[in-house]
Amino acid sequence: MQVNFAPLKGNSRNYSILVGVLIGLVAAGLIAYLIAYAYGFRLWGVNNYVTWGQLITVDFFFIGLSAGSLVVSSLVYVFGQEKYKPIGRMAVYMGLLLMMGAMFTVLTDLGRPEKFWRLFMYFYLSNMKSMFGINGIFYAGYILLLGTYLVAALSGSKLTKFIAPVAVLWAMLVHMGTGAIVGFIETRHVMYSPLKPIEFVSAAFASGLALVTLLSYLTLRFSKRPINKDMFVSLGKLLVVLILILMVLVTVDKLTHFYPPKREAVMFLIAGPWAWIFWLQVALGYFIPLAILCNPWLRKKVGWVIAACAICVVGIFFERAAIIFPGLSQPLEYYPGEIAGIWGARGGFLIMPAETLQTLGIVALLGLLFVLGLKFMELTPALDEGEHAQAEPADQVAAPAAEGGQT
Amino acid sequence: MANYCMVIDLDKCVGCQACSLACKAENNVPHGTPYEHKRHHDMYWHKVIAAWEGEYPSVGTQIIPMPCMHCDHPPCVNVCPSKATYKRGDGIVMQNFRRCLGCRYCIVACPYGARNFNFKDQENEEYQRPDLPPDLDLSYEGLIGPWPYPHRTRGVVEKCTYCFHRIDQAHANGQEVGSKLEGEDGVLPACVEACPTGARYFGDLGDPESAVRKIMAGRGPIKLREEMQTSPKTIYLPR
Repeated sequence: MQVNFAPLKGNSRNYSILVGVLIGLVAAGLIAYLIAYAYGFRLWGVNNYVTWGQLITVDFFFIGLSAGSLVVSSLVYVFGQEKYKPIGRMAVYMGLLLMMGAMFTVLTDLGRPEKFWRLFMYFYLSNMKSMFGINGIFYAGYILLLGTYLVAALSGSKLTKFIAPVAVLWAMLVHMGTGAIVGFIETRHVMYSPLKPIEFVSAAFASGLALVTLLSYLTLRFSKRPINKDMFVSLGKLLVVLILILMVLVTVDKLTHFYPPKREAVMFLIAGPWAWIFWLQVALGYFIPLAILCNPWLRKKVGWVIAACAICVVGIFFERAAIIFPGLSQPLEYYPGEIAGIWGARGGFLIMPAETLQTLGIVALLGLLFVLGLKFMELTPALDEGEHAQAEPADQVAAPAAEGGQT
Repeated sequence: MANYCMVIDLDKCVGCQACSLACKAENNVPHGTPYEHKRHHDMYWHKVIAAWEGEYPSVGTQIIPMPCMHCDHPPCVNVCPSKATYKRGDGIVMQNFRRCLGCRYCIVACPYGARNFNFKDQENEEYQRPDLPPDLDLSYEGLIGPWPYPHRTRGVVEKCTYCFHRIDQAHANGQEVGSKLEGEDGVLPACVEACPTGARYFGDLGDPESAVRKIMAGRGPIKLREEMQTSPKTIYLPR
């Protein structure tokens, strides 16, 4: 199957409005960050109890989405599933963008962001026993791999065949490393679990697939490109499998820690003050998408599949939040008995404007880069056979249009 | 080399918080506003917790002063990506502000809540000592003054240091370090020095003749959260 790719024209009024809104949000986020940097993080919701806030939640979420996007692209470039080709390039580009967004959130979350380079002084100034130190290798290698992968995919090079499997395996490493950041911390019983790395990979694949399905559909829809309904329906079927695996893993993890005698952490998670986050994760992340995608009538309707994907993405966001907020706010048991005053109090978290605006700003930045990428790179399938030749006349000299746009 | 530890006799502790105040004064730890206290933004290198069990009239309260535990197997040192937290040869777990990125992973990993993030610059003029070096570098070999923290750096994590500056200065001056059961005490951390009931002892855990070892003998010393296997060096003698 041959697919021609062509950039979006990007001349329409809606496109300009979208770009304008995103630029506005990015600017707001930037200003919010500069103010927070000048005044200290007291402007954020983070505190000495819940010491990681919205940004780290979004960071874990983005890393997951990135790994998941890569899996979709691997369907094309590793497993040779030609029918997914129209969205293959978008998936690679989204993988790269989301990973860069994740790095950006970590960078701005640091108290002294100007010292971030210390994370990349492997074995010399970095502590390689720290999961952050190890992940430094994974993340940097991943971004390099993704960059190469994108260039190879855009140029239609045969190299994709070699890069894609490596990138997918590396993505799993990246995500297991990220899961280990929280999974290895015995102090926080909600987070502590040997299953966390695998759980993270599984959640990553589910959420990433859902996001690629959602965004590629929206892109094709609003740019009035041809939509292959079977492709989206079959992506929905794949999502069912991934969600089921994730559900089994989460159930096993929680059930193990629920089994008496030591069950306070799970009780805190499922019935404590933050229980709503966990139950939103379960409802939006698993049950509602499964109910839609397993329904014999609804699962064949593209609109419903896309809705299920959107709900699933939101649900997995709550999965990330359900690790950070309950995990950190559960009081530490310094001594048996009830500890009086603030030392025994549960940690709280305020939604503060500076932090929220910055989070939105980073999401908007990724949106902006995605939208601009659609205009300036050949990510979307062409409207018709001739479009590529019209859009890129210079390429015709170097390579025939069909070959240049093909992967 | 010595292996410093602190022994706190809970039978003598009256919960007066003199240790917390001495720590704030010695290490120049800023005081917080009530708003900051409510939001957990203020810093405590030393805290005193009260754990109670049962209901009136059969209620028991245990007051526990908590500096950093200076664990033998510190989780914070493991997780710190930039080696800003490290264990000195004499067992003191240190924090180097110049290396600290402010990622706050160590706060997540610490089982004792001993670490605090610095959320703001100090506003109060009286704390500013521009004549002193801003903070301690690992390569710095000279003596540092009685106040090792003339400036505070916003955006880094801070913690108790067992008043390492006093200990280092004592070694340089040839003074003795640690509590004595008889006679004059050697140089001590501020909290030990300030304790009005003499509930705290400081000394070398490796020396069988030291006061800390003698006072622990036969008292069934306990460590907080032993199930974490961090083997803390802040040790408690039960009531």
